[in-house]
Amino acid sequence: MMTTILLMACITFFTRYLFLHRALPFKVGPKMQQFLSFSAPAVLTAIWVPIVFVTDNGINLNWQNPYLSAAVVAIIVAYKTHNIYYTTLAGMGLFLILN
Amino acid sequence: MKKALLKGFLDMLPLCLAVIPWGILCGSLAVQNGFTALETQAMSLLVFAGSAQLVAIELMAGNTPLLTILFTTFIISSRHFLYGLAVRHKVIDQPLRWRLPVSFVLTDELFAFSHHRKAYRTKTRLTYALSAGFSFYIAWNLWTFIGIVAGSLLPDLTTLGLDFAIAATFIALVIPGIKNLATLATVVTAGIVASVLKSQGFELWLVVAALSAMTVGYIISRVISRTNSQIHIKQAPKS
Repeated sequence: MMTTILLMACITFFTRYLFLHRALPFKVGPKMQQFLSFSAPAVLTAIWVPIVFVTDNGINLNWQNPYLSAAVVAIIVAYKTHNIYYTTLAGMGLFLILN
Repeated sequence: MKKALLKGFLDMLPLCLAVIPWGILCGSLAVQNGFTALETQAMSLLVFAGSAQLVAIELMAGNTPLLTILFTTFIISSRHFLYGLAVRHKVIDQPLRWRLPVSFVLTDELFAFSHHRKAYRTKTRLTYALSAGFSFYIAWNLWTFIGIVAGSLLPDLTTLGLDFAIAATFIALVIPGIKNLATLATVVTAGIVASVLKSQGFELWLVVAALSAMTVGYIISRVISRTNSQIHIKQAPKS
């Protein structure tokens, strides 16, 4: 098992380090840079939205879904306050009450 | 410098706390599936990638062939290529002794704090990033350790719905950044594509959703800047 773990470690490190390797002979041009500027909102949203909507039985769009109402509140608080602590507390608080 | 260390720690703190359920699950699930405590902790210390670890634990417990495990790890980790590409121009001028630790802790969470124009470009900002990155690393390993020790005593926190904590912190990171139509379209596309693909059990859901959302955002920003420059030309005084 240790061998498998070590090989996995090599793979994750490789995917993280590759484009920070200086000998790679390329420069990210301005157009590519603009494309990549959308990567953070794209990836982070692609991670959090399925947590809210996707269950083992498919997509849950029901308003009774506590994930959904708590997410709506978190979105409003994030929009109004720009504060990660308030957002997390409000979202988690409502979620725990509903759940 | 002390300020940067503290700010990195405090900015990452909500995320460190939000992954408690997943860290504990990584520890307890591995032990339940026949991993030794040492192997379990080594996985968090060396691999340091939550989703890849959880999937690999289940695969290894099911006696999946090594190549399948490694290929799956690669698929799940492939989003890191995007992160490396996105921060390359900011980090690449730094010496290897900075680039190595930065890339080692370049998780989803640290990437979320990498958008600043000057990120990684000064000593202070590198210190900030490494403080944030390594406090997340320590937290992740601490939660894994608790999962190893107390896993069988604790309920599975992810089925209690505590996985919502991650959603809440990511909402806090994404929503304030939506300042124009292109970013809004990126976020909406990412959410829809990821949910549909994931619910269909498509393995590449994350990378495909991210790339299609980035494409939509890019195209819209190009169209808008072109339209704006045309308006600008029309309005320019004729000489």
